[in-house]
Amino acid sequence: MNFDMEDAEASQVGKLKFQLNCQRDCVHILRSMVEVMSMRANLNEKETNRVVLAVDELFANIACHGYSDKPGKVEFEAKISTNDAGIEELHFMFRDYAPTVNVQGWACGGGNPCATENITPGGLGIQLIHSIMDVVQHESLVDGNRWILVYMRKQDERGGHET
Amino acid sequence: MKLDINVENKTAGVVSVAVQGDVTLQTSPALRSQLKPLFSQENKQIHVDLSGVGFMDSSGIATLVEGLQWARNTDGRFVLHALQANVLDVFNLAKLDTVFEIVEADA
Repeated sequence: MNFDMEDAEASQVGKLKFQLNCQRDCVHILRSMVEVMSMRANLNEKETNRVVLAVDELFANIACHGYSDKPGKVEFEAKISTNDAGIEELHFMFRDYAPTVNVQGWACGGGNPCATENITPGGLGIQLIHSIMDVVQHESLVDGNRWILVYMRKQDERGGHET
Repeated sequence: MKLDINVENKTAGVVSVAVQGDVTLQTSPALRSQLKPLFSQENKQIHVDLSGVGFMDSSGIATLVEGLQWARNTDGRFVLHALQANVLDVFNLAKLDTVFEIVEADA
């Protein structure tokens, strides 16, 4: 299944786009933005926490593995759209200019928990991203990487953001 | 972002650690540096109070996994107390909720 950020244009009800420096101390800015989008999409607190976590983890992996903890440019887009089935979707796109990443071997694999002796923040982070997001795409580009995350609002999680 | 960590020796071999703040890639090194000296043969139980933690990412969990490994290697106990719902959810997602010894707030 291929998702393109352009697909979200037609039915989008919310959009946010910015560029930031990929450093660990910028993660709280990103988190605030994702919280805003999650609230706009009327996700509840549990869903919001999950979505924020997944986006955080991807950003951390780009910072650590892509840019090796050195400053680097990251473009970020978030969009809310409604799919053909009437389900709200949150689309996130990261574009980095780091060396192409080989994501093979990052995940712990399968539905089994990581063996605790093998747990690393990076591997666990990728596992969390996959367990939260409905779509996780990575595209190697000539001058970097593009990452797409899509979260589809769960029917049994409806009820709005708890305040 | 600030992480407050308070280490208290309860009785011989029993240590209590209270953590307050978000445990993230940014703050988990501070937690790790506080916990690591506790992972010794002298200690038998380490109790970590996470009631003040509202957000934890994979780096935080990986830090706590070191405590789990210490417990397994030394036949000690590494116990997590009073996880907030959002933090417990991360353990569930990572399928580590049954691997750690987790005690609820009012237990």
